[in-house]
Parts: sequence; structure tokens; C-alpha cells
Amino acid sequence: MATAEPAIVAGAHEPRGVAGWLTTVDHKRIGILYVVTAVGFFIISGLLSLLMRAELAQPGLQVVNESTYNQLFTMHGTGMMFLFATPLVAGLANYFVPLHVGAPDVAFPRLNALTYWLYVLGGVVVFSGFLTASGAAAFGWTGYAPLSEATYSPGAGVDLWIIGLILVGTSSILGAVNLMATIFGMRAPGMTMFRLPIFTWNIIVTLTLIMFSFPVLTAALAALFIDRNLGGGFFDPTQGGDPILWQHLFWFFGHPEVYIVILPFFGVITEIIPVFSRKPLFGYRGFVFATLLIGAYSFSVWAHHMFTTGSVNNPFFSAMTMLIAVPTGVKFFSWIATMWRGKLTFPTPMLFAMGFLFMFLIGGITGIFVASPPIDYAVHDTYYVVAHMHYVLFGGTVFASFAAFYYWIPKMSGRMMGERLGKLHFWLMLIGFNLTFFPMHQMGLNGMQRRVADYPAESGLEVLNAVSTAGSGIVALSIAVFLFNLFVSMKRGASAGDDPWQANTLEWATSSPPPHHNFKRLPPIRSERPVFDARHTGPADG
Amino acid sequence: MVLTTSCAPQGSTSQGREISSLYDIFLWIAAGVFLVTAGLIAWSIIRYRAKPGDDDLPEQFHQNLKLEVTWFAIPQILVVVLFVLSAFALNEVNEESPEPDAVVDVTGFQWGWRFTYDGSGKEVVGTPQEPAKVLVPVGNVSFVLTSADVVHSFYVPDFLIKRDAVPGRDTRIDVNVDAGVYDGVCAEFCGLLHARMPFTIEAVSQEAFQQWLQEPPEGVARGDG
Repeated sequence: MATAEPAIVAGAHEPRGVAGWLTTVDHKRIGILYVVTAVGFFIISGLLSLLMRAELAQPGLQVVNESTYNQLFTMHGTGMMFLFATPLVAGLANYFVPLHVGAPDVAFPRLNALTYWLYVLGGVVVFSGFLTASGAAAFGWTGYAPLSEATYSPGAGVDLWIIGLILVGTSSILGAVNLMATIFGMRAPGMTMFRLPIFTWNIIVTLTLIMFSFPVLTAALAALFIDRNLGGGFFDPTQGGDPILWQHLFWFFGHPEVYIVILPFFGVITEIIPVFSRKPLFGYRGFVFATLLIGAYSFSVWAHHMFTTGSVNNPFFSAMTMLIAVPTGVKFFSWIATMWRGKLTFPTPMLFAMGFLFMFLIGGITGIFVASPPIDYAVHDTYYVVAHMHYVLFGGTVFASFAAFYYWIPKMSGRMMGERLGKLHFWLMLIGFNLTFFPMHQMGLNGMQRRVADYPAESGLEVLNAVSTAGSGIVALSIAVFLFNLFVSMKRGASAGDDPWQANTLEWATSSPPPHHNFKRLPPIRSERPVFDARHTGPADG
Repeated sequence: MVLTTSCAPQGSTSQGREISSLYDIFLWIAAGVFLVTAGLIAWSIIRYRAKPGDDDLPEQFHQNLKLEVTWFAIPQILVVVLFVLSAFALNEVNEESPEPDAVVDVTGFQWGWRFTYDGSGKEVVGTPQEPAKVLVPVGNVSFVLTSADVVHSFYVPDFLIKRDAVPGRDTRIDVNVDAGVYDGVCAEFCGLLHARMPFTIEAVSQEAFQQWLQEPPEGVARGDG
């Protein structure tokens, strides 16, 4: 059974070389552009954090001054959340959702190219703040008003931050609409909703969160822009505005955003574990149900970021936040039951998946601590929260990103990544990550607040900070190993073949990389593992 | 078990002790959850590692409704228990004392704190160069917080409590303080010198506190600075 070739195909004849990449409307090329650009912003934002760690290695100011430090953590957070994690989701989804559903491309290929270029433009505008006289935005990635108002942050860097994020947000919304239309309108015959790969199911929920949360961020940013430039008073108490309103709007977006950058990676892990356990995912429907539940709950937990404002219903948001741990726990049991009595192998993608399981488990558990308002009164805005969120976003999202890279780069490039360097990368990153972030729990409990360029000497924080800074160096080294591995593997890596991992889902039923419009023909789709079925029942009716 | 190394300080207020003991309960339960879950993952990794040359497929089981309902129910019950424990502690911690031994009005500003004492005319203003040092009586103290500009957060690590100081509104924390000297900081990022807003609170006897209130404000600010 083959998908019909559309009569008129956008971008069927693209120019070669650089011009081809710049003008492409092919979802695979756009996906690669997204991923490469996102990794670029990951490296830039990561370098900013290395400067921060260098400054914090010992008490006193040695490397940067306070003004620079404040720009560093603001742009680190902004870059990682808006310009790395979210676009990386867009990139992976762009490449693999059409393949997963058996479609030749996304529903609106030209819109797809527009969303990518809006993202690039937005990212450049955000970072161009560094070039202005007063520097980049310096109020944290959360942009709390009234600190972000013109009175307290007059620089043009702030307006560039706002405009850039509106562009990036618009890109995310348009991209979500496009992929949603692809999933609901372009599934191959036989690809029912309950046969979709779990990655694509998680993308459905992610897209829904994007469509409901990003418009709120855009509105909040627009209001802030009006406050700053046109004399609005949305968030200014001296004009009858309300600083707490900014926090509500920001976190109504900001907490779903956390799920936007973790659910797709739950999906990645859920693709990888069954393949390397040689078993089907345990509890497919339960897993989908848990993902939907997380999506629904994620809109009713935002004010747990505001327990210490004294302005929100702490018990309600505490209860909802603790409840959201339940479907997440269900996923852990699904993953474990999938490995149970399987035949496990541990090439690099599976190693990173295992790293994800342990690190995200720690991040999830500390999430329950900070969901308790009394405990949050103690640790809110301290390094404890910094530790918690990095176990979720680095231990979770970043570890799973590398699992995805090692798993899917063979499909995207046709070449295998080096295993020995991959394993070295994994172990360096695991050790470096834990050295960097585990001590931060204790820093926070000892009272070290966030977003400070300096801390008092003889406060008992020196050793913890020195260890953390050393760890960040090891993480940087591990990333260098990855880049070296990527460079060498793209030049000389072994050929991947169609299906190097003996995998399950449709992207492995075509060549690596897939041809223009993806499939010469599709295997019959009778379960959530069509490629597994084809392998084990023979090619009889392919 | 790595998590047990993260212990909360004991706290120098009755509210802080309440939070500290809640933290310890959470920590024990978390340790149990971590050990069981991480143990199952580790067991799977070690026990179910493929043997070289064994190419047969393992048994392809897909689901088990009873098992799935059970592992939905167990964490559900666990979080209800944790929520109830946390809610009781929250009520204790949030309780406002009807007749506090002192009411301190605290205003955060870029970058320091202004402390004023109801009815006494006493005012102590701290700056990055000369942080505020103030006295409170041992016992129930209410801090009524606001801000003159951006959002700050009044945080004394030894109290194990912080509360935001928000422009245009009052927030409040009530603590029952032990005798001692406590350092505080601003916890909510508030601009350039956010890290340079320390202050010191010394809890002394009611007599010593009253005597301090009577001292002329100028002298105290200078003498202590």
C-alpha cells in the first residue's frame, strides 16, 4: 500500500546547495535546520552559564560585574527555554511526525518554512540586546514586573527581548497549528489514533499546550511593551496596574511551557526503551491517558510559582501540583514494565534514556517538595529550586535530547554516530551534571538565594560552589566530545541502513535519510509497531 | 541514598521547626519512593540485559489493567497523604498571632530595607554599604511587608520562611522567634544590587527591645552601622 503522491507538491524542485537549504519547504530539511539552530542556541546559552559558574566558583567578584552577571542568567534562561528547548521540539516533531503518521510532508509546507525563519529572526532579535548600549535584558527569563518596566529597566535590550519573544511565540503557535493539521488530516491508511507512535501522541498534547499557553504569553508581552513605550499601566501599581497580574499571565504560560519541553522527551524515551528492550511499550493506552491528564492538569498548577506572594490560593495550587505527579509516576511504571523481562541492550541512545530515568526521577521527587507551600516558603527563590529545575530540564530534557540525537541522527544523516565517543559523552555528562547540580540542593537549604553574582565568604557555601563549577567544566567537556563525535561521524560514520536499531515505527520503513516525500511504499499498519510487524511476519503483503 | 544528604536546617522559629519537620517527613517518603523506583530500574538494567547471541524475542506482553490501576492508585494515595500533612503545616505556619509582641513594618527598595516600628517613631534604613541591623523581641513578631519600587522578598534563612514584598500591597508573616542573631537577604531578583541587600535581625528580651526602641533613632543607625 502506498500513499498517493499529491498532484501539486510544494518544493518538489529545490535548488541545490546553500540556496536549497535557505529556500526549502521540505519538512525534513526544516526539521534539521530547527535542530541545528536550537543546538547552536544551546551552546551559546551554555557558554553564558559557564561564565556564571566561573563567577560563582569563589566569593567576591572576579570574572564579571553584577550588571553583566544579571544579563548572563537572564539570557541563559531565555535562550535555553525559548530558543533551545521549545524549537528543538519543533525540529524533532517537524522531522518525525510526518514520518510517524506516514505522510509525505506537513500540511502547510510554506507555513512551515515561515515558522522556522520567524524563530531565527526572533532569536537574533533577543540576543541582539547584547549589542545595545545598556546591554541585554537583565531581569531573569521570567521578566517580573515592575522590574521589567521602563522605570527600572530602561534599555532597548528589554524591548528587543520582548519583540524577539513575540516573534518566537508566534512561530510556535503557527508551527503547532501546522503539525496538528498534519496529524489529524494526513495519517496513512490504517494509522488510527491508537496506533500512533507515543512520540507523536506526546506531540499532540504538546501542541495543544502551545496553542493555549503561547497566546497568553504574547498578550502579556504586548501589554508590557505598551507599558514601556506607550504609557500603559497594566503592571504598574502607581497607575492602578498590578505586578502580580504579570506573574499570573507569565506562569499561566510558563508552567505549561515546562510540559511543552518535557512531554516530547517523554515521547522520545518511550520510543527508545521498547526498541532496546525488544518488547512493546507496556500499557500503551494507559500511557496516552496519563499524557492527556498531564496536559489537562498543567493548566491548573501555574500559581505554585507564586506561593510566597501571599496573593494566591496556596492549598488549591499545591493540591493540583501534587496530583500532576501521579500520571508522571504512571509513566515511570510503564517504562519499567517495558524493560521487565525484556532483552536489553545499551547502545548510546539507551544509555541516555537510562540517564534520563534516574535524573528525571530526582527532579520529579524534589518537585513534590516544592509543591508543598510550607517547604516552598523555605526553598523558593533559592538554589534548591535551581537544582530542582535543572534535574527536570537538564536531567530530563537535555539527557533525552541526546538520546534522541543518537537514536535519530542515523536516520537523518544515513550515518551511525560513534559508539565509543557516545559512551564517553554519556559518562562525562552524567558525572559533570550531578557534580554541578546536586550540591545546589544543599546551597538552597543553607539559604543561598538565586540570581546573585556573589555570596558571603565563610558562609559554608564555598566548597559547594567550587564543586558545582568544576562539574560545569566536565559538562562542557562532554558537549565538546559530542560535537567532535558528530563531526567525525558525519564524515566517516558507518552507513546506517534503513533500520539500524531493529525499531518499530514508520520512519524506519524508509531509507536513511528518507527520500523527498518520505516513502516509496508503506508497510501495512495494523498495530503501533508496523515495522516490527513487517519484520516478524515477513514482507508478504508489503 | 543521596537524597538524605540534603537536610533542612532546624529553624529558629516555631514556624521554621514546623517546616523543618515536614521537610524531614517528605524526605523519608521521597527516599522510599526513590529507592523503590530506582531499584526497579537498576534491577531491570542488570537482570534483563540481553545475553550475547540470544536473538529470540522475549515474551511480548502489552498490558495488565489490574497492575496499571494499582500503580495509578498508589501514588494517588501517597500524594493525598502528603497534601494533607502539608496543608496542616501550612495552617500552622500561616497563622497570624492576634496580639504579637511586636509589629515591624518592612519596606524593600532598590537596594535595601526600611524597618519601622508602629507607634514608636523608630526607623532603621539599610543600604548596600551599611546594611540594617534591627532588634525584635523574643516571641511573636509580625513583619508587615511592602515595597517602594519592584518586587523584593524578605528572607531570613534561619526562619525557613520568606514572603514577597510587593509594591502597592501589604503582605505579612508572623513568626515566633528564639533569641539569637539572624542574617537576612532579598530572595526575589530586584535589579542590579539584588545580592547586596543583607540585613540582620537580633531577637532579644522584651526589656532590651523596649530600651532599644526608646533610643534616639539617629544614634542607633549610626552606632550599629
